[in-house]
Amino acid sequence: MRDLIIEIKNVSHRFADGTMGLQNIDLDIREGTFVVIAGQNGSGKTTLLRHLNGLLMPTSGSVRLAGVPVSKNLAWSRQMVGMVFQDADSQIVGETVYDDVAFGPENLCLERNEIERRVFRALETVGLLEHKDQKPHLLSGGEKRRLAIAGILAMEPRILVFDEPFSSLDYPGVKKILTQMISLHQAGHTLLVAAHDLEKVIAHTDRLVIMNDGKVVRDGSPSQLIGELESFGIREPCASRMGMEVHSWLR
Amino acid sequence: MCIPDGDGGAFVAEVSALSFRPGSSVLHRLDVRFKTVFVILISLATLKAGIPGLFILTSVLSIGLIHAGLHLKSALRSLRYVFFFLVFVFMARSLSVSGSPVIEFKFITVTREGIFDGVLVCWRWVVVIMTGLSLILTTRPSEIRAAVEWALNPVPLIPGKRMATMMGLIVRFVPVIFEQAGETLAAQRARCVENRKNPVYRLKMFGIPLMRRIFERADKLALAMEARCYSENRASPRLSSDVWDWLALFGVVGLCFITVL
Repeated sequence: MRDLIIEIKNVSHRFADGTMGLQNIDLDIREGTFVVIAGQNGSGKTTLLRHLNGLLMPTSGSVRLAGVPVSKNLAWSRQMVGMVFQDADSQIVGETVYDDVAFGPENLCLERNEIERRVFRALETVGLLEHKDQKPHLLSGGEKRRLAIAGILAMEPRILVFDEPFSSLDYPGVKKILTQMISLHQAGHTLLVAAHDLEKVIAHTDRLVIMNDGKVVRDGSPSQLIGELESFGIREPCASRMGMEVHSWLR
Repeated sequence: MCIPDGDGGAFVAEVSALSFRPGSSVLHRLDVRFKTVFVILISLATLKAGIPGLFILTSVLSIGLIHAGLHLKSALRSLRYVFFFLVFVFMARSLSVSGSPVIEFKFITVTREGIFDGVLVCWRWVVVIMTGLSLILTTRPSEIRAAVEWALNPVPLIPGKRMATMMGLIVRFVPVIFEQAGETLAAQRARCVENRKNPVYRLKMFGIPLMRRIFERADKLALAMEARCYSENRASPRLSSDVWDWLALFGVVGLCFITVL
């Protein structure tokens, strides 16, 4: 059995206005797992994900990555957990595609040659190498999301976190991002995907975590839990509703 | 690849005609620090240059820009608002400089000296714009940022790295702001904002949501930067110069000397 890479122990988070974002979350994730975290808007998915790299700190409880508390070394945690935000546009900081991907490795104070190697490799992985001199704001929605992925891949994280990766993407865009996610999983990365629409991704995941009102209400294999989705305000995939097996969007 | 829809998108496309174009021209190969010095030297030389000097500078810069891959038509389209400014400068000069009159109408007098002075000042502006354009077209924004960092590093009490990052973010954010403004305006037009004639009301209804959206974007950007380990202690971009940069400096100094003679 593979090692635990994420250990979330009794984590609660209270926002500044007093509302509870998370309540007593316990979650252990093994390295190389593909986990989907499902829930309605406001169920706490994004709040939970932001605890993984210390963008938010728990009010109580602890988050450990490979046995090391996140709070102990924030820079290391952020290198370990690459996060693709829901709004890819606001994640882009560089004036060109190359500069944006180089932003993370530059922050890690790597040597120039190493930065260049990582940038080229990341851009090649997501198929954007020919756009390296392009202005990011002129890319399409799908390309911007792939650029966001390249930006985190250049930091060589072990865990990849995607917050609603398919929102506002067209069908070809969804297929490209999904293909990317699957190949990253096959390359050995641990993947966590927050989604409210499971149709596109569930066929590829190992584990389904359902959140509701800041709590983990179900945790198990997708095939076991798929029938319970609607009771938590999450749409059951079409094929499953019709009593059929859920197939990949890439078929 | 696509260009965003709406007024903001159109603006973004126009701005892009005046931004870095990858290439391998002589100007592309020069060190950004030298190029910045060239911009300063040529801009100063234009202040003293007469018609022959300006002609030489314009010719040299035109060759340089065409060699660097400038798309003349789209550049002229992007700079069309600058021409309004030049027309204004020309009119102000031709009306305000005293001398032998060419046109007289009531209290308005256009003088020969004024027209000459107006042409000269506008031409100087055109040369300065062409010089700036040759820097922007042939230099990656990250290199300009690196040059700013390099220039500010020895200055006490000014954090060079932070200033350079801020500059990069401004460059990155300008199209975003225009895009947001275009979207906000389009959404308000869709709800017939034109029917409201009160400019204060319209400014309030446009400005407040726009500012809120810009601050929200800035907030998200800060969070994304934090997630990618942003700190002031970052790897600095590599800058290197060679003998060609020094030769080019020698050439530009010579050119400036000839133009002011």
